[in-house]
Amino acid sequence: MIEIKNISKTYPGQKVPALKDINLTIETGEFFGLLGPNGAGKTTMIKLLATLLKPGSGEIYIDGDLLLRSNRNVKRKLSMVTQEFSLRSNMTPEQIMELQGRLYQIPKAKIKERTKELLSFCDLYEHRKKVCRQLSGGMKRKLMLCRGLLTEPEILILDEPTVGLDPFARRQMWDLLKQLNDKGMTILLTTHYIDEAQYLCKRIALIDQGRTDRVESPSLLIKELGSTAVDEFDGNHTKSRFFAVREEALKYAASLENEFVIRSTTLEDVFVALIGKKLEAK
Amino acid sequence: MGIVTAIWEKWVEFKYEWLKITAAAMVSPLLYMIALGWGLGSMTSMDNIRYIDFLVPGLIAMSTMNNSFSSVATALNTQRIFEHSFEQIIISPTSLGQYVIGQSIGGSLRGIYSGILVLLIALPFGVSLKLSPIFFLVMFLNGLAFGALGVLAAILSVTHSDVGRFSTFIIAPMTFLCNTLFPLDKIPRVIQVLIQLLPLTHASSQLRSISYGQPASLFSILVLTAYSVVFILLSVFFINKRKNL
Repeated sequence: MIEIKNISKTYPGQKVPALKDINLTIETGEFFGLLGPNGAGKTTMIKLLATLLKPGSGEIYIDGDLLLRSNRNVKRKLSMVTQEFSLRSNMTPEQIMELQGRLYQIPKAKIKERTKELLSFCDLYEHRKKVCRQLSGGMKRKLMLCRGLLTEPEILILDEPTVGLDPFARRQMWDLLKQLNDKGMTILLTTHYIDEAQYLCKRIALIDQGRTDRVESPSLLIKELGSTAVDEFDGNHTKSRFFAVREEALKYAASLENEFVIRSTTLEDVFVALIGKKLEAK
Repeated sequence: MGIVTAIWEKWVEFKYEWLKITAAAMVSPLLYMIALGWGLGSMTSMDNIRYIDFLVPGLIAMSTMNNSFSSVATALNTQRIFEHSFEQIIISPTSLGQYVIGQSIGGSLRGIYSGILVLLIALPFGVSLKLSPIFFLVMFLNGLAFGALGVLAAILSVTHSDVGRFSTFIIAPMTFLCNTLFPLDKIPRVIQVLIQLLPLTHASSQLRSISYGQPASLFSILVLTAYSVVFILLSVFFINKRKNL
């Protein structure tokens, strides 16, 4: 279980905090999403969990133990796939995996076995002897996930893991993450692809301007907004309205003069509605 | 375990670029030997000794220092600021203390490698030095101190240019002043005292003494060990204390 208690963080030279009084609890085995617009504080949160940053105030506990840069027993449970490429450009995928295994004190035979298994699954095995600078962006992204999974972590932290992947590879990764979560792995995900969060996450936290707005399941957030949407295009803009029941949506649509579409509400609608309301309020 | 991992990492780095590393480590000592050893040395008289025989141990100390420092500082800073791969070290359960020691040892081994290259380059110049295990121990300790200083520089640097500035203000002055190119007794006493405090002074004077067949000074060996320990402890301290790595 991850417990984030009263976390605040202000970067040096900045007046506005990147995170303010964040409180979250992520249960063991949960697939949890952190959503928010650019600059909302998602990556700061992830970097705090990775101990790359230290909070200004507050604490993070993993299974009751305080997470610190020096607390090796806690860090053993975590693995992280960062948003930015974080690979040694002069190392081959095979060497990257070996380095990761060595850092987590995994026996050599096991490193070899897991490397073959993971690289093969991600279609990287035939590229295992190329240095990373020769790999495409998608290959690097997959390699970073392989590296994160090599250690069989209890908690996997993923910061925008599918950026730059083609739709096929993205779905392949979704399947893998679902399987791992089904086996009990706790996964914390940040993503810009809201369909991804809707498909994968059991609960999500909406984060904006360093604060958490809502922590709910995607289905409940959608239900609250209205599960049927009507998009009306007036020639310049698309206006969306949401309805609890489809019949109401049909009735409304019948009264429209402009072009319209009736569809199911998505998590993206929730996101746009909540963040949009805040922008209007400003 | 973290020590072995860091040394393995440095070995992988070396394997990938060994030819470039070897060529780069040879250029500057070769130029010093031609310009100072042959050129200026022919106009210089020293007590019972050729200038080039005086120069070469100083060049070994200098080369060990430069290569140990830069192999660690540049690589680690690139991994921290550009490649972001240092993040994986921080996230992992590997002891950061062990990792710093391993990086410093890896840097020191690169320093010894460059020192051996200087010895090989010196052969055609007719330089013959008396080598012993303690000669290599001094090279190792010199490399260890500057490898650890390289870790410290990489951690404290905010931009990649800061590593260059660290070299300009700390490494370059030592290159010229620390008993490497000329004997210390030729400069004013006050400056001599200050220079005696620096690690490279002890490394070059010891390498010179040993290569002349004289006994090594235990004090200098302890000074180099103390510098290594202090730089390693400072590196671990700053890795643990920095709020934004």
